[in-house]
Amino acid sequence: MNTKNIILIVLSIVVLTSINGQSRKDLKAIYHSQYSYEVMCLGVGQDGTKAIKVWSYGKTAEIAAHNAKRDAVAAVIFKGVPGGNGAAPTPPILGIDGYEKNQTFFDEFFKAGGMYLGFINLTADGVPSGADRIKTDKGFKVAIYASVNFDALRKYLEEQGIARRLDAGF
Amino acid sequence: MKKTLILFVITIICASVSGQAKKPTIMVVPSDAFCISKGYFTTVNLNGSEQKIPDFKKAMQEDSQIRLVITKMGSIMSDRGFPLKDLEQTLKSIETESAELAMMASKSSGAAISESPIDILRRTAKADIIMDLDYTIKRQGPSQIITFNLRGLDAYSNKQVAAAAGVGAPSSFATADLLLEEAVLSHMDAFNGQLSKHFEDMFTNGREVTVVVRVWAGAPVDLEEDFDVNGTTDMLSIHIENWMAENTVSGRFSTSDATENVLKMEQVRIPMMYKSSSGREMAMDTRRFVSNLSRYLANAPFNIETKIYQRGLGECWLIIGEK
Repeated sequence: MNTKNIILIVLSIVVLTSINGQSRKDLKAIYHSQYSYEVMCLGVGQDGTKAIKVWSYGKTAEIAAHNAKRDAVAAVIFKGVPGGNGAAPTPPILGIDGYEKNQTFFDEFFKAGGMYLGFINLTADGVPSGADRIKTDKGFKVAIYASVNFDALRKYLEEQGIARRLDAGF
Repeated sequence: MKKTLILFVITIICASVSGQAKKPTIMVVPSDAFCISKGYFTTVNLNGSEQKIPDFKKAMQEDSQIRLVITKMGSIMSDRGFPLKDLEQTLKSIETESAELAMMASKSSGAAISESPIDILRRTAKADIIMDLDYTIKRQGPSQIITFNLRGLDAYSNKQVAAAAGVGAPSSFATADLLLEEAVLSHMDAFNGQLSKHFEDMFTNGREVTVVVRVWAGAPVDLEEDFDVNGTTDMLSIHIENWMAENTVSGRFSTSDATENVLKMEQVRIPMMYKSSSGREMAMDTRRFVSNLSRYLANAPFNIETKIYQRGLGECWLIIGEK
């Protein structure tokens, strides 16, 4: 093996490692992103509520389940609920940039033990098991079944001046 | 001195009070397709062809399901700050009004209330936004499926401003009433989301209306008559369009018809508010907007007399030549 070939191999290793490093960094960013949760509609909820299934991540299953509660409320505020199981899609109360526009309010709202907990009723509390609990390289991905008090949440955000009332200006 | 101070404070308060835009009225109306399919219609002969006209009164009196849907929608809309105008009650009110008008007479001379055939023709149920409702419940084997279709129609522009439609999940246990309630709960948030966007657009870009300028037969001028305004000689219709460009929000309107007798301008974006002579912010509507145009034409160099005729909620005619 001549020197030229050795240099070529070393360079290839360096390039490939850096690409892999970048994708790992991306994956880490995705894993830790505040938008990294998935929502599924379970059907038409009781009057003023949304019945959803939320998948979230965490280092332990308990942390992931705790994050899922927060993400269930965040989903109806920022993402909306997709249609499914006979229910029509629900648009988000605010846009996807609602957090950035009201960061101070939402940091307080979503803090540990924050106000957000007042708008969520779990239909299946406890640490998920079976198909709703998946072990990943970094921890756990779990799903919870939740009922979010959508109307009460919307009204609260309207009262706080975060969301626009339907009759605003009239 | 004390009086002057009080007057000064009152003036400041009055000046600082800002008005609010005219709140649209919303009414749920069963669609023509729903009324005809359920048999709630009357048949009339119009110029030799038979036409089916929906009978809303019959629908409201005989269909308990439509009442349930309207009640449920009413409760949701009321919660959002928009109590619905009730179709059944409006129809009753129109009937009572007609009876009272027919019976009423002046105490001194016995004169009846003045009412033209146009006034009688226009005594109908109106709302700014019509929630046009249609649903069917179909059976598939042991299950029932609901198809729900709700359209929000702006009476000003005749445009669909919000909609919610879809098919519910099949159910073999739920009653028709339960399926209906579920459909309303399922669709109203999406509908209101779109309605909210429509209102936001109204506040940003103005309310969308139609303005039509017509000419009375025998009027001394028509829309092709030339006038000199500030050294620019042009047809009357061009001067009217210039005025519209100056007075609409961002100059937005489109002329869809222009002849010597008709100038039809659609998608006219009128401002939501205007400042009155006392400095107060007042809500603008089509009639008031057109009355400003009427005043413009009454002045030199035009000196034209006009009649304002409001046709529907979002359309106004300005007829030139006389009152």
